[in-house]
Parts: sequence; structure tokens; C-alpha cells
Amino acid sequence: MSVQFLKKLGYGVIALAAFIATSGVIHSLLPPMIPKGIAAKLKFFAEHKDEFDTVIVGTSRLYYSISPELFDQTTRDNGLPTRTFNFGIDGMHPPENFYVLEQILKTKPRKLKWVVLEMGDIQTKWDNILGTQRAVYWHDWPRTALTLKKAFNPRGNANWFIKLTRLWLARRDFISNLALFGKQFANVGRAADFLPSADRERFADAASELGPHGDGYRMAGDAMSPERAAQFEQRLAQEMSEARPKFLDPATEDGYRNSAAQTRQAGAAPFFVVAPVIFQQLPRFRRSPDPAPLVSFNDARKFPQFYDTRVRIDDGHLTNEGAAEFTRLLAQEFARRMRQP
Amino acid sequence: MLFVEFRFFWFFLAVFCVYWSLRDNRSRKIWLLLCSYVFYAAWNWKFLFLLMGSSALDYFVGLMLARTKNPGARRGWLILSLCVNLGTIAFFKYYNFFVSSAAVFLAWLGLPASLHTLNIIIPVGVSFYTFHSMSYTIDVYRGKMRAVTSILDVACFIGFFPQMVAGPIVRAAQFLPQLQSLRKFSNADVRGALVLFLVGFVKKACIADGVAPTVDKYFDSPANYTAASAWLAILFYGIQIYCDFSGYTDMAIACARLLGYELTLNFNFPYLARNVAEFWHRWHISLSSWLRDYLYIPVGGNRGNRWFVARNIMITMLLGGLWHGGAWTFVIWGGLHGLALVVHREWQRRVEGRAPSRPLPGVPGSPDATEDVPPRRGPFGWLAWSLTFYWVCFTWIFFRAADLERAGVIAKSFVFWQSPGTHDLGFRMIWIVVLLGVIHQLNGRRVFSSWWRRGSPEVFAAGYGCAFAVVLLFIPPHYAPFIYFQF
Repeated sequence: MSVQFLKKLGYGVIALAAFIATSGVIHSLLPPMIPKGIAAKLKFFAEHKDEFDTVIVGTSRLYYSISPELFDQTTRDNGLPTRTFNFGIDGMHPPENFYVLEQILKTKPRKLKWVVLEMGDIQTKWDNILGTQRAVYWHDWPRTALTLKKAFNPRGNANWFIKLTRLWLARRDFISNLALFGKQFANVGRAADFLPSADRERFADAASELGPHGDGYRMAGDAMSPERAAQFEQRLAQEMSEARPKFLDPATEDGYRNSAAQTRQAGAAPFFVVAPVIFQQLPRFRRSPDPAPLVSFNDARKFPQFYDTRVRIDDGHLTNEGAAEFTRLLAQEFARRMRQP
Repeated sequence: MLFVEFRFFWFFLAVFCVYWSLRDNRSRKIWLLLCSYVFYAAWNWKFLFLLMGSSALDYFVGLMLARTKNPGARRGWLILSLCVNLGTIAFFKYYNFFVSSAAVFLAWLGLPASLHTLNIIIPVGVSFYTFHSMSYTIDVYRGKMRAVTSILDVACFIGFFPQMVAGPIVRAAQFLPQLQSLRKFSNADVRGALVLFLVGFVKKACIADGVAPTVDKYFDSPANYTAASAWLAILFYGIQIYCDFSGYTDMAIACARLLGYELTLNFNFPYLARNVAEFWHRWHISLSSWLRDYLYIPVGGNRGNRWFVARNIMITMLLGGLWHGGAWTFVIWGGLHGLALVVHREWQRRVEGRAPSRPLPGVPGSPDATEDVPPRRGPFGWLAWSLTFYWVCFTWIFFRAADLERAGVIAKSFVFWQSPGTHDLGFRMIWIVVLLGVIHQLNGRRVFSSWWRRGSPEVFAAGYGCAFAVVLLFIPPHYAPFIYFQF
């Protein structure tokens, strides 16, 4: 290698270092980029953080199911009074929920005692939202590392050959997640966040996102059609025949353990819940002890009332009637578990 | 794969490193060709065969032209090349246009016919690479250059990835000699290329993509908006198309320069033009000079009486408009520019009392590349500039509008300040136009042309890294495809 070549390489390294340093400085100076929907809830929660002692974090399965009013009434009746905020967000799967929980805890809610966190597998594919702010904002390094770990070793038992194969098979996931991390770190398009129109747009539907009672809960829709009900029952039978406990993959387990630790550091207690979805695999932690109590409602044999097609909208969501029953059962179980020393 | 995408950076880094690490020219050309085909296949690998076929045919025709002395046979070989190349464009770009126009015409004659259009995907860059290809066979036919014996050189010239999909339209006589000599890294203007790339990136990713949503909103339903919004949207479109296309060209020239090749100049501050002929000496120069050499001059050029010259200009500009796409809006756009060029020639002859300037430029770098009649300066110069800019913006309406009906609504708003719509796009955003206009003017005076060359390489490298980090703040989250890709 000639001296001239090394010099040119050195200039490239200087340019890269300057780029990373500048991006890092800008990144540390800018507030987190929180997209529409989540921004409205986070802002409301930050403004009323000391009014709530329980927060529910999850996908639309909790957003449209857990009424804080009913939840609080049930817990009070069961000897554990709570004041709950529903932080459910459409499509907020892990690891996005870990990031959002971190943002919630960063508001330092002094009275927060409990965090109910929905359990689910870490997602690695974002094709349908790729290129949106929603896909970018949570892709910091800890969360990106979890998605890469999941893509690389989804069952936790891969040897080097399987890992190499995965590297090829899941190349699109690797590239898209790394590109999203790059966009997040390099603050791509962040200037637009400071336009007056950006704030207007971000909070345009804040009232409806916070729900009629301002507690983050929105009512669900109607039951599924008879044709869909038939398909659902067929698929449920198939799922039930294959039902078994399932160990979490290492990346997902790490994510939940980390979130539980963060919750405890903030002075609250974590509680994990699996909503009554069609999938009948009951999640288990690989390592013991479990980081927090875990209640799985996705068990059609144990909770047949949630799998009656008259109370279901689709594979993952319940009607108002089903949601009310789910809220009551969850609150009872929550109060029972949390009352224990 | 777009020049503004992350994956392109990785792609180009690999191309660059391997290219300069190879010692002999043949290996470099093989590597370049391979990378160019990978670049093209990233859109649609099936159309790669079309590109390869076009290259192989024109290589073969070039060889046959070199071997054959019989003028009739030579003409036959050239006609074969032109038919295949133009036939490819005609099928992919104009089949549906011709069929639907024929159906409308027959219906107008009272002979309704049921003609079927096809669901055709236009291969990216087909208009550009076929023009590259044709320039080779025509120049060999004319004896302006010798036929190339290496198919690798011809394939590299036609498929060279920086200029393959949206130009600049490079002439074989300019590019092939560069391919035939070993490029030296020490001769490459790396600093100039990097700055040009950044400038192109800013133009495309920050400016063009930044104003695009406003433009799209207006042009989708122009009848809903006020006349002030029409003005804003048309001015924004003028900015968008210039920044989009010249940004692409800047990045293409920069990428080629980083590999040691010089591509032709394509834009030279077109919005500073003070007459429409000057505009065509500054806008998409590689196309206008191509049309001049291979269409305008063959149909007669400036020879003959003024009606004959006017006819030649109109033919050239109408076909130039049609080259952009199979739609009457493009034909009208070309026709309006042709009309303006004819009127300008008459104005120069009758009012200014001087010989008319050339309507189209020669190849950049050649003696007839620049305008031979200097445009006016002083207060009349400003008036001339305003009229030219207004006319160019007016013609953009037809270039952008989805159909003639909408173009009519927009033209009425733009010219008569009349619109039934009440929605407002926010005329306050006009400051963006003013700001960019000032930058364009200052840049036209070369205010920013050289200060970045002064510092040491270390300072330049650090500054470049910082500048890129800042630029990324201003790009919208969605990349829009380059406008000229559709042509």
C-alpha cells in the first residue's frame, strides 16, 4: 500500500469521523422525535404524570380493550386501588414498546407504582411502514441491536453455520434495520419536525387518540361477520391442536428483562400480559427467575369466553363486550398478583 | 437504486475501491460493466437483456459500417440500428399513446374503432441509453469516429451506470477515448467531485423532494386552489424539475469524475437566461445538442429561407417534446418552446436588426457550444429575463399537468389570475423561491465556485463530513424517484 493511498484513506476516516461526531452532537441536542399518535399520548402523560400510578403499554389489543375506568373500579373492589392510563398504540410491537416505555419513565412520574406491559415477539420486518417516521424514531442502538439479534438467531440455538445462513436469508431485515438506525442516528429529516405545521399535524387527532375520557382508551368495533367467524373457528381449532408453551427467543427475553429492570429502577413494578389473541402458544422465559409476573390470556381452553366469535372483531381484537370482560379479569388477576408480597 | 439512497453509498464505495485497486484497464472496464449491470438490474433485471441487446447490436453495426464501403449497404446498416433503437423506444414509450390517439382520431372521423392498449412497463433510462447508442452508430456512419473493435468498450459506454438512466447524453466520440486510456487516480479531481456530489444531493434530496408535496397537491386538483396557489405551485415546479434533474446530473458527473471520467455539461444556470434560445443553451444541454446534431441539422437546420428554418425548429422541438413521454402535453410543451424560438429569431431579425442566434447548442466543449449572440444587459436585460422566465414557467404547466383539461385550468389561473378554487397553499412560502433565486444568481456569478478548494485536505475532509451531517437534517423522510427516470 502506497503512502498516498494511506493518506487518502486517512482523509476518508477524518470525513467519516467528522460526520459521526457532528451527527452525534446534533442528535444529543435535539429532543427525541416522537411521531403522531404516540406524541399526543406522551405529551398528555407528561403533563398529568403525577395523576396516574398505573400505566398500560401495548398494541391496539390493549389500546381498544383495557378501559382504565373499569380496570380501576375492579382493582379497587379487589383491594388494590389504582389510577390507570392506557398507553396502548396501534401496531406498537416490541421493541418499539420498550423504547416508548423508556420515554414514559423518563418523564419521572413520581406516583407510578405499576407498569402493565403487553408481551409479544420482537418484530424484525417493517416493510409496510418503511420510510416513515414511525419506523425510524425508536431505532436507537439498543433497540436495533435487539432486532438484529432476533434476525440473526431467532431460536437462540444457532451455531456459526446457521448464523451465516441467517445472515443471507434475513439480509433484507439486516439492511432495513441498519438503514433505519442510520437514519435515526444521522437525524435524517429532523429539521421538518421544527416547522409549525409539523406540530399541528402531530397533535391533529390528539383528542381522539386520548379517547373520550382522556385516559388513553378507545372503544372497539363490532363483532366479525359470520363468514369471517367460520374462518376464525377453523383457524382457532388448528392453533389449539398445536398449543404448547413456547420459550421466548433470547432477544425478546433480553428486551423484557431490560424493561422490567428499568421499571424497577423508576420505582415501579412490572407486570406482563398476553392479550387473548388467536395464537395459542404460551410464552415462557428461558432463564429463571421471571423478571415479572406474567399472565397469558391467549388460552382458549382456560378463557373460552374470549374466543366466542360474538365477542371478537378479528384474530387479535375483542368487541366492547369482550373487552370489558378482559379488563375485569385482567384487573382481578393484577390485583391478586400485586397484593402478594 | 437512487443516488440519494443509503444503499447507493455502499454500492459506490465498493465500485470505487475495487475499481482503483485494479491495475489494468481491461479489468477495470469489466468491473465497471458488471457494476453497471447490477445497478440497472436493481430496478428490473429483465430489462437488462434489452440493454445488452442494444449494446451488442450497435457494436455489430459499428463493425459492419467500418467494413462496408458500399454507400447503400452502409445506409442499410445505419437504418437497421435506427429502426431497432427507435423501435424499442416507440414500442415501450409510445405504443399506448399512438393507439389511444388513433382511436380518438378515428372516432372524430366517425369511424369508432376498438383498439387495445397494453399494460407496458417503460424500462428505466430507455430514452437515454438508446440515444447514447445511436450517437455511436451515426458518428461511425458519418465518419466522425472509427468503429470500436472491443464490445466491452461499447457496452461500457452505453451502460456506464452514472449516466445510463437519466443522462447526461454522452457522445461516443467524447467518452470512448476516455475508456480506452488507463485513468489515473492522481488526475481525478476528487475534491471537486465530492463537492459536486453534495451540491447535487442537496438539490435533489433537500430542495426538489422538499417542494414536491406542495406541487403534487396542487397539480392533482388545480381547480380547488386559488390563483396565488397556482403561481406558487408552478414556481415550485420550476424549482423542483431543475433541482431534481440538475441534481441528478451533478451526482452523475461527480460519480464519473471519482472514477476518472468526464461527462458532458448538462445545465448552466438555465433560469438566468434572457431569451428562449439562451435557455436552450443552458437547459438539458446534452439533449438539445443531440437534437441539433442528429435531427435539426439533418432536416435542414439553418439552411434555406426563414419559413424553412422555422419548420425545422418546430419539427425538432415537437419531437423533443415527444421524447419526454407519450402524451399531448409534452408535444404542446415542445411546440410552445419551438414557437418561442421562432418568434425570438424573428424579433432578432426585425427589431434588433441582427442575425438570429442558433436555436440549439453544439456539444459542450465544442466551438459552437455557446450562444453566439450575447443576450441583452441592463434594464432591458431584466425585462427580457422576466419574460423568458415567465414563458418557461408557463410551459412547465404542460410538462407537469396530468392531462390537457387540467393544464387548461392551471394556465388560466397562471395567465389571467382566475380560479374557481378557494384552497390556499400558503403564498408565504414564496420566500423559498426568492431565496433559491438569489442563490442561483450568486452561483451563476461563480461566488461559491472555489473557496472550498483553499483549505488543507484534512480540513476539507472534516468540513465535508460535518456538512453532510447537517444536510441530512433537511431531507424529507421519503425519497421520490427522479422525475427524468420516467422519460
